[in-house]
Amino acid sequence: MKNKRLCIISFLIVVLLAGCSKKELKVPLEDVGMVDSMAFDYIDEDQMRLTVAIPQYSPQAEKDTQIFSITTDLVSSGIVEIEKQSDKKVVFNQLRVVLVNEDFARKGNVRKIVQHLYRNAEVGNKVLIAVVKDNAEAILKGDYPDKPSITFYLNNLLEPSINTAFNPNTNIHDFMYSITNPVVDTVLPYVEKRGEKLEIKGVAIFKGNHMHELIKPEEALVIQALSGQKNLAPLHLDLNAGHGEEKVMIDLIESSVKKESNKNMESPKLTIFLKIKGTLSEYKGERESHLFTVESISDLEKDVNKQLEQDISEFLARLNKTEVDPAGLSEEFRMYHHGKWTSKKTRELIRKLDVNVHVETSIISTGTLK
Amino acid sequence: MNKTKGKVLNRYHVIFLAQSIMIGTGILSLPQKLSPMGYTQSFMPLLFGVIASLTLFAMVWLCSKFPNDDLFRMNEILLGKWLGKFINLLVIIQFIVFSAGIISNYMHLIQSTALQEQTITMPVLCFLLLLIYIVSGGIKSIARFCVMTFFITIGLVYFTRWAIEKGDPSHFLPLFNFTPKEFYEALKQGYFSILGYELILFYFPYIIDQKKAFRHSLIGIWISIALCFITTAISVMYYSEWQLKNVEFSVLNLFKAGEFTFIERIDIIGITLWVFLILSSVTAYVWCAKRGVDTLLKKKKQQSYQLYIIACIIFIIIKMPFSREFQEKLFMASNYVGYVLVIWPVFLILIYVIRKKQVQI
Amino acid sequence: MNEIPEQIVAKLKQEINEVDDVKLKMIDTEEGDVTVIYFSSLIEKMTLQTMVTIPLANNLKQIHQMAQYVDPKDVQGVVKKLNAGQTLLFFHETNALLSIDTYSAPTRAITDTETESTVIGPQDAFTESLETNISLVRRRIQSSMLKNENRIVGSEANIKISIMYMDNIVSHENLDDLRNRIDQVDYPLFTDISVLKQLIEDNPLSPFPQYYMTVRPDSICRYLLDGRIVVFMDNSQLAIVCPTSFFEMFVSIEDYYNRWTTASLLRMLRFFGFFLTIMITPMYISALTFHPEILPYELLLNLQESRSKVPFPPLIEVLFIELIIEVLREAGSRMPAKVGQTIGIVGGIVIGTAAVEAGLLSNILIVLVATSALLSFLPPIFLMSNTSRFIRYIFILSAGLFGLFGQMLAFAWLIHHLLSLKSLGTHYMTPAIPRKPSDLLDSVMRFPTKYIRSKTGISKAQKK
Repeated sequence: MKNKRLCIISFLIVVLLAGCSKKELKVPLEDVGMVDSMAFDYIDEDQMRLTVAIPQYSPQAEKDTQIFSITTDLVSSGIVEIEKQSDKKVVFNQLRVVLVNEDFARKGNVRKIVQHLYRNAEVGNKVLIAVVKDNAEAILKGDYPDKPSITFYLNNLLEPSINTAFNPNTNIHDFMYSITNPVVDTVLPYVEKRGEKLEIKGVAIFKGNHMHELIKPEEALVIQALSGQKNLAPLHLDLNAGHGEEKVMIDLIESSVKKESNKNMESPKLTIFLKIKGTLSEYKGERESHLFTVESISDLEKDVNKQLEQDISEFLARLNKTEVDPAGLSEEFRMYHHGKWTSKKTRELIRKLDVNVHVETSIISTGTLK
Repeated sequence: MNKTKGKVLNRYHVIFLAQSIMIGTGILSLPQKLSPMGYTQSFMPLLFGVIASLTLFAMVWLCSKFPNDDLFRMNEILLGKWLGKFINLLVIIQFIVFSAGIISNYMHLIQSTALQEQTITMPVLCFLLLLIYIVSGGIKSIARFCVMTFFITIGLVYFTRWAIEKGDPSHFLPLFNFTPKEFYEALKQGYFSILGYELILFYFPYIIDQKKAFRHSLIGIWISIALCFITTAISVMYYSEWQLKNVEFSVLNLFKAGEFTFIERIDIIGITLWVFLILSSVTAYVWCAKRGVDTLLKKKKQQSYQLYIIACIIFIIIKMPFSREFQEKLFMASNYVGYVLVIWPVFLILIYVIRKKQVQI
Repeated sequence: MNEIPEQIVAKLKQEINEVDDVKLKMIDTEEGDVTVIYFSSLIEKMTLQTMVTIPLANNLKQIHQMAQYVDPKDVQGVVKKLNAGQTLLFFHETNALLSIDTYSAPTRAITDTETESTVIGPQDAFTESLETNISLVRRRIQSSMLKNENRIVGSEANIKISIMYMDNIVSHENLDDLRNRIDQVDYPLFTDISVLKQLIEDNPLSPFPQYYMTVRPDSICRYLLDGRIVVFMDNSQLAIVCPTSFFEMFVSIEDYYNRWTTASLLRMLRFFGFFLTIMITPMYISALTFHPEILPYELLLNLQESRSKVPFPPLIEVLFIELIIEVLREAGSRMPAKVGQTIGIVGGIVIGTAAVEAGLLSNILIVLVATSALLSFLPPIFLMSNTSRFIRYIFILSAGLFGLFGQMLAFAWLIHHLLSLKSLGTHYMTPAIPRKPSDLLDSVMRFPTKYIRSKTGISKAQKK
């Protein structure tokens, strides 16, 4: 029967071809240098300094990471240059972190290099992008004696963690999404090197394709809350509502946000309802001794509400003045707008936007101690 | 075997034949094809479903008038021997080019994602061998393969979970935000993603329960439409409009969004598993082409060399030394001819009605 | 001797010429001289005495009651009867030839099954004697509907087989098909029923076994009552069940004795284990040669480190270790049990650890290969576990060619191959594609026993 003949033919071909496949020259895993982190530094409009970190497994080598730096005008030609220095084939299969320095973010074309990586099918979605103060190359080349290797350190630092909930964890898709979406402005974590440690100092806000300003973690938390992040913690507040100076720390926060717009492009109005649920983990101030009753807690809740409303309104007012919209507030207007939406419309709208914030805090417990 | 006496396809076969042939490479780039409509595209597949149902009705009505003949015979009966033969030749060429288009598309995708820095000659060869192996089993064997394909690949829907979590449902609004020109553009480019159900014109004679064939095919079509709808809806939620327009294989990037602890890149699993979907649609087209050659040459005896020749032609088309641009144009053209094939039964019905009157007079 | 008509004696002598265990004895009885002819190797002395010699001397009536008359002119028939262990009596005075069934070749006792042992359930297994085997089934199904048809196969050796079925359940279409196939078989010698099985399979070239084979009478009874046909062969411990589906290759009769939850769990393990065992090592090749990005980073760095000393590409590395495992298995199964233990030590410790330390293999691969070797022994049917090992090489080679894409192509081939296979004219892939919805109750999941009542679709059982 012809089926069987075919079966045999195909089997033979598979066997024979497996032998021939040598000539295709696949580089085996051990001869591949998998780039883990890349850093871009701004030199001038055409030139940039590209640094890549490749983990090293050989026990004989003194350092566990190979670092290569090169001055180049294009990403891919830089990689070709680096390959000349490397003993291995440089691939991007396991790229995890892309750092750009502040100059580059402000003046260079971050979108172009990220788009280059986004186009590359080898690169996964797990690439986290961050802005770095001063020099990105120095971060990769820096010495961190108590950390296994810079690559793991950076990656773990930038990955989502509950205590850095303000960190937007912008990965390559998020970056491309927000930079090409007219209703949102990109946010990236901002990292600074301090001696032997790295620290996420805040969040860099982009306006269009360039970095616009740096904001504090507390403010970045507001952006996360408004763009619908479910878990925010810990929330730290300084109250000053008739009880002297108070410090409040709320933990394990669940938040939900609802936005309502008046759908009017001419005089836009947006009402934001923010619900926060959490545990009061620490308190310092006048009311410390009588925070046991439901009444006093609800008093505190009201104060927290007021304070948060005030903070958020002030922060949004400031953003609106500079016409940036990292929380995607203009989406509420685009949803009801027929026709093409452009980033110009976002800017106009944001400038005119009148925001009304309602916060509803509920403190579900004060911990296990009475 | 191919010439099993009479009817071989039961209802499940009919449902999943219609369903699996429709899902091929088309759905991979459907959101990109529909991107002229921006975020409003998510409901387009439903519209496609309505159009498909209507044209399917015409096809099944025509087939029910000729319960034992496929389209090749119908052409000859209704259009006369020579004109019919000529049209049949065109249909055969169309099927061969169309299959080559699907394979070439998929292989280039494989080359750019899973098999980097390799030529596609050998993968294509192996693929064609498997294709011949399946097609030589006849339409029933293809149908059974389609059923299996559905159940093996339906799990891929789960892999879009992460994209849904990240997506923003507000993108669905506002509804109907497009101009007629955009709509026309999207319709023209997007509809061939769901082509494939028209092959019922060729396997209709093999269906056991021909009275219910329409209903069963309709179920199959709407399963596919639902899958297309899921794809576009999730893409709309997950992407910005720029990404919709510029990411060519949106489904691939949807898979990229997720990860398991032990497998980090689901897109590679997804795209290689896609070979089942490609096989299930291409085998059906090649089977039809082979039937066409059989009718054209009036071969009574079952021979398989036509199949090898068809496979060779497909191989040559994929690897032909023409420029990529010419290839693209050729495949594009074959897509538009596919539209003609969808409308063709309507034309045949007209002729049928006219001729019937003539006969009666 | 002289009294036997010349022609018969001449022919008989010709036939049994140089057969030294044929005995001819003259016994003097009331009805004159009687010549007794028999094969001494097929008949025990005790049987001969109680059945023939003592009645001949004392009670001729009994002889006439037990014996059958044979046509002396049919020499071939006479010789066949002799070969089958019957004793021939020739009465010189009346010129009558009688035969008495005295077949009593020594047989083995019924023992525990070693190849398909279970913890719960009956422990008896078939033996090499057809009579015993049939009796083992009959005592479980006490119904007159249980038919068995005896046939002789083997053009030279004349082996007895028995086709067994439940007359009121079985599909007669299947039965005729099977009879036809057996009739068409022309093969000189059947040393085991598996030889016959390979000759009557639908696709003899396929790597998959298409009929279920077992030594367990309880299993056989279950299939008989489901409307399958069972074939026994004399001198063969195994019995075959036809038709069978792919899925039933992963069913052990113990599943029906266990709680349904445990049974479902074990079945899933076996079924998905089959696909895992053919996928694990190819996956290693594809991940290392073609798609390093699918593995988590930490694992990948480990792999890089352990691979750094290995001189060959992953494909050769995998083929190398897989072959070593095959060698170990083969060596272990051929060795006397006492020496067998050494094999385990040599294989496990010397080759496993030493090869990694010598830098011939990566240690992660050893873990994968060991897992897949264990998984390959999961199917209760030994032939299936052999198949899985063979199929794995196809997957390994195609993974070496095109990575995951090659694996998926091979998988598509496998699926199509399984789909196009048939077992006695029924599709092999039932109930993966169920012929009846009720089949699903007893497939990868085994539902509680009270729901499993209806006959499976594959047996095409008669409707009542």
